[in-house]
Amino acid sequence: MAVRTRGRDVSPGVEALLDARVVSVGVWLFLAADLFFFAGWWFAFFYLRALNNNQAWMIQGLVRPNRGFGTVVLILAVLTALAYFAASRTPGRGSVFRLLAPVSLVLGIAAVLYQGYGMWHLGFGLTDGAYPSVFSGLTGSWLVQLAGAVAWLATVVLQAGARGDTLARPHSATSFGWILLFLAAVGIINYFLLYFVA
Amino acid sequence: MVTAEHVSERRLSIPNNPITGVLLAIPAYFAGLWLGTLFGLNDDANTGIILGYTFATVAFLIGVGFLNYPLERLFGWRVSPISDPEENRGIGRFFRLSLDHKVIGMQYLVTILIMLLFGGIGAMLIRSSLLSPDSSITPPGQYIMLIGLHSVMMIFITSAVIVGPFGNYLVPLMIGARRMAFPRLEALSFWLVPPAAVILAAAAFWGGFPTGWTGYPPLSEQAGQGMDSYIVGFALIGLALIVSGINMLATIITLRAPGMTWTRLPIFVWGIFTTSILGMLAAPVLAVALVQLAMDRTVQTSFFLSANGGSNYLWQNLFWFFGHPEVYIFILPAFGIIMEIVPHFARKPLWGYRTGVVGLFGVALLSWFVWQHHLFVSGIAPVLRPFYMLSTELISIPTGIIFLVTLGTLWRARVWFTVPMLFCMGFLFNFLIGGISGVYLSDVPTDVTLHGSYFSMAHFHYTIMGGEIFALMAACYYWLPKMTGKMLSATIGRVHFWWMFIAFNSTFFPLFIAGILNMPRRVSSYDPALQGLNTWVTISAYFLFGSMILFAGNVIYSLFFSARPALANPWHARSLEWQLPTPVPAYNFERVPMIVGGPYDYGVPNARPVADLGGLVGVTGGG
Ligand SMILES: [Cu+2]
Repeated sequence: MAVRTRGRDVSPGVEALLDARVVSVGVWLFLAADLFFFAGWWFAFFYLRALNNNQAWMIQGLVRPNRGFGTVVLILAVLTALAYFAASRTPGRGSVFRLLAPVSLVLGIAAVLYQGYGMWHLGFGLTDGAYPSVFSGLTGSWLVQLAGAVAWLATVVLQAGARGDTLARPHSATSFGWILLFLAAVGIINYFLLYFVA
Repeated sequence: MVTAEHVSERRLSIPNNPITGVLLAIPAYFAGLWLGTLFGLNDDANTGIILGYTFATVAFLIGVGFLNYPLERLFGWRVSPISDPEENRGIGRFFRLSLDHKVIGMQYLVTILIMLLFGGIGAMLIRSSLLSPDSSITPPGQYIMLIGLHSVMMIFITSAVIVGPFGNYLVPLMIGARRMAFPRLEALSFWLVPPAAVILAAAAFWGGFPTGWTGYPPLSEQAGQGMDSYIVGFALIGLALIVSGINMLATIITLRAPGMTWTRLPIFVWGIFTTSILGMLAAPVLAVALVQLAMDRTVQTSFFLSANGGSNYLWQNLFWFFGHPEVYIFILPAFGIIMEIVPHFARKPLWGYRTGVVGLFGVALLSWFVWQHHLFVSGIAPVLRPFYMLSTELISIPTGIIFLVTLGTLWRARVWFTVPMLFCMGFLFNFLIGGISGVYLSDVPTDVTLHGSYFSMAHFHYTIMGGEIFALMAACYYWLPKMTGKMLSATIGRVHFWWMFIAFNSTFFPLFIAGILNMPRRVSSYDPALQGLNTWVTISAYFLFGSMILFAGNVIYSLFFSARPALANPWHARSLEWQLPTPVPAYNFERVPMIVGGPYDYGVPNARPVADLGGLVGVTGGG
């Protein structure tokens, strides 16, 4: 980040330590906020499922979304997060990062494209009751966030060069790993709710 | 010496400012509108309108300059339109994207005061139409539109009116920091507010929306295209609450000066801290509800349609899970202001500082467990009522603690009755009435009859206007000398206080009676027997509006005509922000301050000054 305190009395080393703490705390705060976001969706899931108004939580003969499809997306998302997390232990430096970060990016793009494709081929209409509503809203919200995270991941990979930000602020790249892990964890919960519990 | 910094080499060819933003936003709106029609949904163009508002907002933010940093990261373009605060001290910095928390504070203040004018005009139109007991002055459809616009505009304002201007400006100064943790997020939280206000106002072109600020389905699903303004505008404010909350919390946690221990933190900062927790965690839940409403209105899902498996209770639960913490987002920073200002003018230590902090956290914590008190008459299971009644009543305990802390500080003090102090006294009076009337509404037996009446309307105006806005006024008179370098006229200020105080109570107290006499909210006609009462209220409301005009006049007169320069510390206060010169230097502290004393140690034997501003070398971070 180009914003500095411009201290006349602050050494760059101390500045970097402080920046690391700021970014790390910021990421955890963001994850807390995002947890409440997905918790809102999970509440909607259980609430409408329990109410089953007009027997229309899942109308008779509803074609369920393909479970195999969901499994592939989930595996891609989890691998994205794990690959990046492993890479981000040595951000910018070392062969591990150079190898795994681009791999993670490719996996992430695949997850987004595959899930995006799936959203157009749900097998049911959005008007077909409450479960299709929750499925599309929850999966869509997750997809949008995953796409945003993958876009940021692209900047992290592109900035991994000699003069780049990833090298200058490795702690930022490290903290970002938690966001991908969080989204993967949410993906796992969603997967069980939408494909099994429902 | 500037630390290693990439100097801008290449600039984006478009100049970044709000005019560029507007010029980009207009075609973006029509692009969204066009894209929406492509889907060919039978949705009365709602898809296009929502996409249009969203695209326009994004385009506006790009025009202002928010895309530059991502572009820099992606392509290595050195686009850096944000000039260094040290170099740019001109008036132009207030009209552009700035990462200086002091500039952002002033941008917030001016923007929100302008919005307040429009919200106030809405209130005057509402009161004017109530001069007649039938709907002859304003037809019902237009009346409900006024209610919607006034209420949501005021919610936007009150969500940010203290945290935005005063939180952003003062928190770094009060904790001994040179900047915020996330200046870009801080700037984003501000630049989301003008688009939200414009999008909300655009509802008027579509006939407004009929739901008030609560947006209940099924009405909000059947409503016309004005409802889309509610959805997008509220979502933008929700986003602003989240990013502002993250930035404030990260700043207070990580950027405190050495020696600024948690127990030396000014109580106003604690108010901002607790309100930021609420904003950051509650607004995401609102976002879920708004996404669902938008989907129901566009792609025809059925989150809230019971015939198709949905439930309007889903909205009520999600909305109020956000909505009740939201009202504490309004009031916690106001509590902070009151507890902050009173010790300085009582010239006594804040009585029970730690207890006061516990009170703030108690309110913040309990606010998550009360939301169903808004559903007492919605037909929820009766077994749920006692729990939510009790949890709501419990909130009066931490609130009472905050009152006792303030009163204990005043006890046996020789009070200096400055204008800010008068507004603090007004706050205590008004909020006492507002708070106690709230206890009646938390009780199921009384709520069943008072729900939806002017009693609850009077209650929340006593807390929000009598509470938060009076605290806002105290903050303006107290801190504007530091922020603007000019003293506000105390003579006009005293007239303003008494005028506003009397007019406020004359306006809203009779509405408790109107509510007990069963006058319903949001309805343009009422029992003709209540016309005298309503005429009294309307005339009082005109006076109340006049007092706000007097305030605006005082600000303009004091800043531009009387031009009485403010001393660096006109109140002889101990706290850190007053130890800085006026105007505050670009990076606040020449050297990292070493905090050695508490902010409220008035009359404490051997009390040390609050900070050693001579500074240390190479030390940062919290204590
Ligand atoms: Cu409430």
